[in-house]
Amino acid sequence: MAATNSRRPRRHAARLLASAALVVSATLLATAAPAMAAGETIGGCVLEKAKEAEKEHGSLQALKDGPEEVLEDFEDDLEGCVEAPSPILPEIDEIIWGSAAFAILFVFMAWKGFPAVRRAMDARSEKIQADLDAADTAKAEAMTTKSQYEAQLAEAKTAAAAIIDEARVQADQLRQDLQARAEADIAEQRTRAAADIESSRLQAIDDLRGDVASIAVGAAERVVGASLDAEVHRSLIDGYIDEVAGSRGNG
Amino acid sequence: MADHLAAESVGDYADAVLAVARAERAAGEVESELARFAAALRVSTELQSALADPVIDVERRMRICDDLLAGGAHKATKAVVSMVIAAGRGGELAGIIDAVIDRAAAGRNRRVARVRSAVELSADQKARLASAIKASSGIDVEIHALVDPGVVGGIVTEIGDDVIDGSVRSRLQQMRSDLG
Repeated sequence: MAATNSRRPRRHAARLLASAALVVSATLLATAAPAMAAGETIGGCVLEKAKEAEKEHGSLQALKDGPEEVLEDFEDDLEGCVEAPSPILPEIDEIIWGSAAFAILFVFMAWKGFPAVRRAMDARSEKIQADLDAADTAKAEAMTTKSQYEAQLAEAKTAAAAIIDEARVQADQLRQDLQARAEADIAEQRTRAAADIESSRLQAIDDLRGDVASIAVGAAERVVGASLDAEVHRSLIDGYIDEVAGSRGNG
Repeated sequence: MADHLAAESVGDYADAVLAVARAERAAGEVESELARFAAALRVSTELQSALADPVIDVERRMRICDDLLAGGAHKATKAVVSMVIAAGRGGELAGIIDAVIDRAAAGRNRRVARVRSAVELSADQKARLASAIKASSGIDVEIHALVDPGVVGGIVTEIGDDVIDGSVRSRLQQMRSDLG
């Protein structure tokens, strides 16, 4: 930015010189005219040459009738009237008038035009510079925003990576938990199944023992019932009565 | 509460039966006939179910009771059984009769010993059993014997809630539980 500000005066001076050269050239071109425009026309020149020849030779007819060399000189003089003036050096009066006009125009331009042009150019330069500064500012802001976005993007990527890692860890932990739980369930079910099998086995043994006992008792009951005759009944009853009688003090 | 009310109503019916029997001057006859009727009821679960079944017509249930009591029963006995059946207390008839017998015995300062045996007890056995109970517990009892083949052998005596089981059946059951 400092280099830009140091180049600005030189650029203004160059522009000013270029503007002045342009104004001078335009003035020269505007004020430049053919030699005959500087107070002597072709007709006047021919007329003056004709008067000079008439004064020298008495009349134009005498010149015409005179020697061939004199006529050719006259014709050269006439041709000199129609020859173009110097493209570089104008006539003196043209220089004077042109210089005066140039001076007037220059003064006017230096008084009014140049300041206006300078102000316009300064305003334009300032506007351009302001636009450049705004563009620089916008660019800087854009770069800052870009940096922020890039930082946020990097942060988001980091966060996403952390989340993914955490999710992966949690998934692994969950998988391990589920696996452990499933293994525990399987072990528990296996233990329970073994307990059920053992319980069923014991129950079956008990049932079988009960069935065997029922069959045995039923058989014994039938055998006992068939073998009890009147004498045995009487003996059992008498024994019962004696037992009740002998239980004095117990009941 | 329901059991208490049922027991109370059974007692009320027993008092009513006793009142009818005493009014007819046939308390002892009615009591013995009711005891035989109760013994017949106890050995037949079908009969108990029939008397308690509300689907069976009351007249039919009364006719069953008349057949069991036979023609020689006292009219007061028939009347009280019919009263209980008509009142819809057929299922409680055995309990009411037991209550009648208990209250009648209590009126004589005695308790009832219900004795079940595989064979019928002789009069001597009944007397000796009553004496043995008197000797062991000091209670005067009246023996109400019932032949129950399920006893197999020996005797089961019930005095109120007390049970003296000397049956072969109980010994076989004890053996079965020991084996099982």
